[in-house]
Amino acid sequence: MAPIIEIRNVTKEFKVLERREGLWGSVRDLFSRNYKTVRAVDSVSMTIEQGEIVGYLGPNGAGKSTTIKMMTGVLEPTSGQILVGGNIPYKNRTKNAQEIGVVFGQRSQLWWALPLVESFKLLRDIYQIPEKNYQEMLALYQSLVDIEPLLHKPVRQMSLGQRTLSDILAAFLHDPKIVFLDEPTIGLDVSMKAKIRTLIHALNREKKTTVILTTHDMGDVDALCRRIVIIDKGKMLYDNDIDHLKSFFGSYRTLKIRVEGGLKAQAEKIQGELPEFPVTADDEWISILVDEDKAKVIDVLGKLQSSYEIRDMKLEEISSEDVIKKIYEEGVQ
Amino acid sequence: MKLKKYLTLTRAGIIEALQFRLATVVMVIGNLLYLIVVYFLWKAIYASAGTDVVNGMTFSDTLVYLVLATALFNFMEMYTVWEIGRSIQSGKIILDLIKPIEYRKYLFWSYSGTFVTQFLFTFLPTFIVVAAVTHGAIHLGVNLLFFAAAVVMAVSINYSIDFLVGTVCLFTESIWGINIMKQVIVLLLSGATIPLAFFPEKLRSVVELLPFAAIYDVPLRFLLWDGISMEPQEPWCMLLFQLFWCLVMMILSKLFWKASLRQITVNGG
Repeated sequence: MAPIIEIRNVTKEFKVLERREGLWGSVRDLFSRNYKTVRAVDSVSMTIEQGEIVGYLGPNGAGKSTTIKMMTGVLEPTSGQILVGGNIPYKNRTKNAQEIGVVFGQRSQLWWALPLVESFKLLRDIYQIPEKNYQEMLALYQSLVDIEPLLHKPVRQMSLGQRTLSDILAAFLHDPKIVFLDEPTIGLDVSMKAKIRTLIHALNREKKTTVILTTHDMGDVDALCRRIVIIDKGKMLYDNDIDHLKSFFGSYRTLKIRVEGGLKAQAEKIQGELPEFPVTADDEWISILVDEDKAKVIDVLGKLQSSYEIRDMKLEEISSEDVIKKIYEEGVQ
Repeated sequence: MKLKKYLTLTRAGIIEALQFRLATVVMVIGNLLYLIVVYFLWKAIYASAGTDVVNGMTFSDTLVYLVLATALFNFMEMYTVWEIGRSIQSGKIILDLIKPIEYRKYLFWSYSGTFVTQFLFTFLPTFIVVAAVTHGAIHLGVNLLFFAAAVVMAVSINYSIDFLVGTVCLFTESIWGINIMKQVIVLLLSGATIPLAFFPEKLRSVVELLPFAAIYDVPLRFLLWDGISMEPQEPWCMLLFQLFWCLVMMILSKLFWKASLRQITVNGG
């Protein structure tokens, strides 16, 4: 089967006005303007298969939203090719719209003043969803989350969590092939996050919907994605299984200890003794990032025990968050 | 069915408008205050003129014209420029662009529910009051049919102009000044603030050819037409004149939007 999304060497450049400084500069800006070309996305390629959940990660300003906007057809790439479900998105925006659903964490596509069910009815008519499919979808939603009390509540009276949940349901309503979720769990509490993750997972499984998820929350990634794509400064850094990434950094473990005396001062002393591993301290723990290819954690601990009184210790596997932080900072070699 | 796609937006608009009772009340009051100002202003103008008939219109003619113009304005004003500008600034426009409906249509139909409520709550009451108070200034006959046709086209022309101006917001990313400018120009040149009959002869002959006259002046002339005072072909000419601008503005606004969309850079890439 052909991949649902195909992106080949896509580049997007923006022209940005460079403003001069100060009053005189502003006056000069009125007459002559300097434009600077900013490359937001720099020859990115990827293919995504039907039914995948892909985590699309990167620091703020990395070019994630720009890529998504190109996939939805709102922006036209400067060069390169994008095919979404066989369509060129910016050329067939309306046709493409039938095939995709979008949730932006910070804004809502729902009708603010109306009860949720009215928004659903509107979407049913706009996307021309047959009544039968619509009812089936509502039944499916009801089996996944208890939407009955939400349906008759005006959207403006909803909590952020309820609204996000409703927005996700709205995005899946017309049974699109692809759903883009842009930071869907931003600002939500832990239980709501869990609820939303379960929902996304279930919808992906039930409907074989491809999900592209951008997030800064590694919990989302760990819970949902098998594959991640990392982008920074417009360039693709990584595109593979999440497990592969973990194994790549798998030889790293974090040893956390608590010792007598001021933690900050002690941490500096330890760093002096263990120059090959980065040592950091916070209010509770001194953390030592041990590369097990160089020394066993147990040996490091033994060495420390001879000169410090260790009151408490714990060992942490490196989390994908740390891995990604490391990639953001250093890149994959 | 295709029409359902649009009518559902109308339906939602009506429900939405009915949710805000206070807003409706405030609007009716504001409307009333404006009419009082208009009444005294024109009373003073007629008093200083010293004659009963100025530019072929009596005081009550003028007043009826302006009152109905205001009612028509409330009915037709769509705040499109404001709406487009705001959704550009907030970035909400992305969500509207990725609906399987053309944005121009989407916006129009989203607002269309308000036409229905405004028609029932402001235009119709004003019309009935004016018809009752002046008994006879408004002829109830075939002119109302012409009026209805004229209003439909006026709405379309007005929307096209609004949409055209709103599209400019894509480039300027500011709304306020543009919106005010548009409003002043449209209201003045369309005869909604001062009847076109009061314009100097030369200016008037130009203004009467512009699309703005087709928005307020033409429907109002139909409304105040007694059914006999025009040449038989004149009403049809007026409608044709409207139809012409209706099509021209629609095509212009569509083309401009299409060209502009290519330039779009939405905030917060």
